[in-house]
Amino acid sequence: MTDLPRRDFIRSAAGTTAAVGAMAVPKVYGQATNDTLQVALIGCGGRGTGAASNALRVGNGPTKLVAMADVFENRLEISLSALNNEFRETPDKVNVPKDRRHVGFDAYEKALDALNPGDIAVFATPLAFRWVHFQKAIEKGLHVFMEKPLIADGPSAKRMLELSKKADEKNLKCAVGLMIRHCRGRQQLHQRIQDGEIGDIIAMRAYRMQGVIGSCFSTKKPEHKSEVEWQIERFHSFLWASGGSFSDFYIHQIDETSWMKNAFPIKAHAVGGRHYRHNEDGELYVDQNFDTYSVEYTYPDGTKLFFDGRNMLGCQNEMSSVVHGTKGSAFVSKFGHSPRGVSSYKDQEQNRRQRIWEYDTPKLSPYDLEWEDFVDAIVNDKPYNEVPRGVEASLVTSMGRMAAHTGQEITIEQMRECPQMFAPDADKMTMDGPAPVMPDADGLYPIPKPGINKKFEYVIEA
Amino acid sequence: MTKIHQQILETSGEVSQDDFKNYRQTIPRTGVEFEMVAVPGGSFMMGSPEDEEDREDNEGPQQQVTVSPFWMGKCEVTWDEYEPYMITQAPREKNGARKDYDPATDDIVDGVSQPTPPYTEMSFGMGQTGYPAISMTQHAANKYCQWLSAQTGHFYRLPTEAEWEYACRAGTTGPYSFDADAMEDYAWFYDNSDDKYQQVGQLKPNPFGLHDMHGNVMEWTADQYEDDYFDRIADNTTNPIVRPIKLYPRSVRGGSWYDDPEQLRSAYRRGSDPSWKDQDPQLPRSIWYHTDALWVGFRVVRPMQVPDVKTMDAFWNSATDAR
Repeated sequence: MTDLPRRDFIRSAAGTTAAVGAMAVPKVYGQATNDTLQVALIGCGGRGTGAASNALRVGNGPTKLVAMADVFENRLEISLSALNNEFRETPDKVNVPKDRRHVGFDAYEKALDALNPGDIAVFATPLAFRWVHFQKAIEKGLHVFMEKPLIADGPSAKRMLELSKKADEKNLKCAVGLMIRHCRGRQQLHQRIQDGEIGDIIAMRAYRMQGVIGSCFSTKKPEHKSEVEWQIERFHSFLWASGGSFSDFYIHQIDETSWMKNAFPIKAHAVGGRHYRHNEDGELYVDQNFDTYSVEYTYPDGTKLFFDGRNMLGCQNEMSSVVHGTKGSAFVSKFGHSPRGVSSYKDQEQNRRQRIWEYDTPKLSPYDLEWEDFVDAIVNDKPYNEVPRGVEASLVTSMGRMAAHTGQEITIEQMRECPQMFAPDADKMTMDGPAPVMPDADGLYPIPKPGINKKFEYVIEA
Repeated sequence: MTKIHQQILETSGEVSQDDFKNYRQTIPRTGVEFEMVAVPGGSFMMGSPEDEEDREDNEGPQQQVTVSPFWMGKCEVTWDEYEPYMITQAPREKNGARKDYDPATDDIVDGVSQPTPPYTEMSFGMGQTGYPAISMTQHAANKYCQWLSAQTGHFYRLPTEAEWEYACRAGTTGPYSFDADAMEDYAWFYDNSDDKYQQVGQLKPNPFGLHDMHGNVMEWTADQYEDDYFDRIADNTTNPIVRPIKLYPRSVRGGSWYDDPEQLRSAYRRGSDPSWKDQDPQLPRSIWYHTDALWVGFRVVRPMQVPDVKTMDAFWNSATDAR
């Protein structure tokens, strides 16, 4: 931990909101009684716990975890014990006594109450709750780190963008977990591409093909669990909770290739389907995902990104992103998210002997770097709001998903203006339901019907 | 565990010298076949002589070591064998135990912990059919051996460092089990592998008939990695093993597609490291995957003599509570 230089802190009573406009926007850091940045974790799954650990390891600010919230008590306990174990050498980093561990749908509010303005809220719940939590964090004057994707539908995108403006008015720093943007290797590659190393980009390809991932395929809900509990637990199975396997897993590569292109796609058409509808024991899968997706994204200048995604055991696996230019090509990702193998080539085949440049072995993982950058912006008051970009990335990702699910070409306007909001009552949800989607008599949830439902990814039968 | 042991005793029992020969094994659950090579017991000089080029301090002082007979996988375990064990649809706890396990209706194979599915594909686009499985933790490799044992009735486990080096040398005493000039006929390494692992068993085998002992992927052994291995085994050089007590480092042998020839030497030793999980975004980190170890795999051995249940347990669960 580095010693911070002494700074002049603007002090104000906790909880008051700063007037904006006539006066300079205040710097929102260090309003606690000492220089500590307190962190509250909302959503204590594996990734949330990982994010908390990245937050506590940050080298440029004294961070401390003080509150946790989840809808499942056992998740919270597992998370806390993992963090205690991870930081057993520096136990002060994790200070979450019983009265700051909160369980339930209102737990997020109680956890945020433990923070002072200028502290950090971490959101790693299923995405439907993002706007609910973000709204509250802005009210409380908190900086926010939120996991991707931010939205899975148009109305939520608009809502998040409005909130993002409010965060800017209060000078709150907002980070979004598209960590590849913070990878030093990809940043160097981006610069090299801007400098013309591989010429003008003419096409891009990205693949995420693997066995079964996360909770993307689900069989019928067990009797003893409530509908809401089941759907949150199996969040990749439900579009309202995650945007499905498509959004949650494919967003990174759609975002990283778009970054290299300095643009986001404006339309998409796609093919996709569900080949296997039963598991190895012959039980019916009831989730909303396809197992195969292939999308052609078009950028404003006509350039294409071809994206293939598949969740099928025993088939060829691939997780990489390649950019083709008029003078060569580049691996944006060669080995999944790893910074290793990020490289540029004189040919179109990425032949080792034609390599122009390769990123040296990294010291820090992108998951740590995104926190280094975020905390640096808080401590040194640099402009920092990744929400608009994160919303756009989530929206273009959803556009590809919707194109596959409806069987239509979908433009970004259509995606943005599609009135279907998957979980409009996310702020009123309770464990006893009702859940955003309900099963039919066979336990099957509303699934996409390309060519039949052309305007909506699924229709809830009355 | 006791049930598996009982079944192995019934199936394998005493193996006579006549039965100690190479065999093919079909994995009952998947129908995938693999080959085992009979490695006769014997004594050898383990470690490297002080005048060997590129020698490291942890390769000696050389010891005369004796190992009992065992069978060893002719090739590294491939994705064909490993992936169906790695990715299952069953609901599992983080530790891999089935949430829906019912001893009344499920068999002993279902009772073995198997990995939770990975979040990213683990072959890193380098190929699956016929290619070596990689990026698993030593624990995942141990559990694979248990899963395999539960359904075949033979006791499979990881080789000890001593068994591994004995099998790798196959009676040779030089840096490699072949002449260094013939490197490309026997081993995949940085200069000839085109930045990736290659299908197993394509190059020439060593004198015991084992392929890819040098290069392609490094291989897990059962030991804790210790710099002073040779001092630790000095009092017991018959079937020596350094039993693991902590999670890192665990021992790997043989070098990989990413290595240079000096790391492919028979005596070259190294251990695993927490940085092998750098890209794992979750906490607690997965006990099943080394997200950053694109060059580590394993092969199985089967000792001729079936040990007691306590010994089996020590091999299969050497990473269960270690920190």
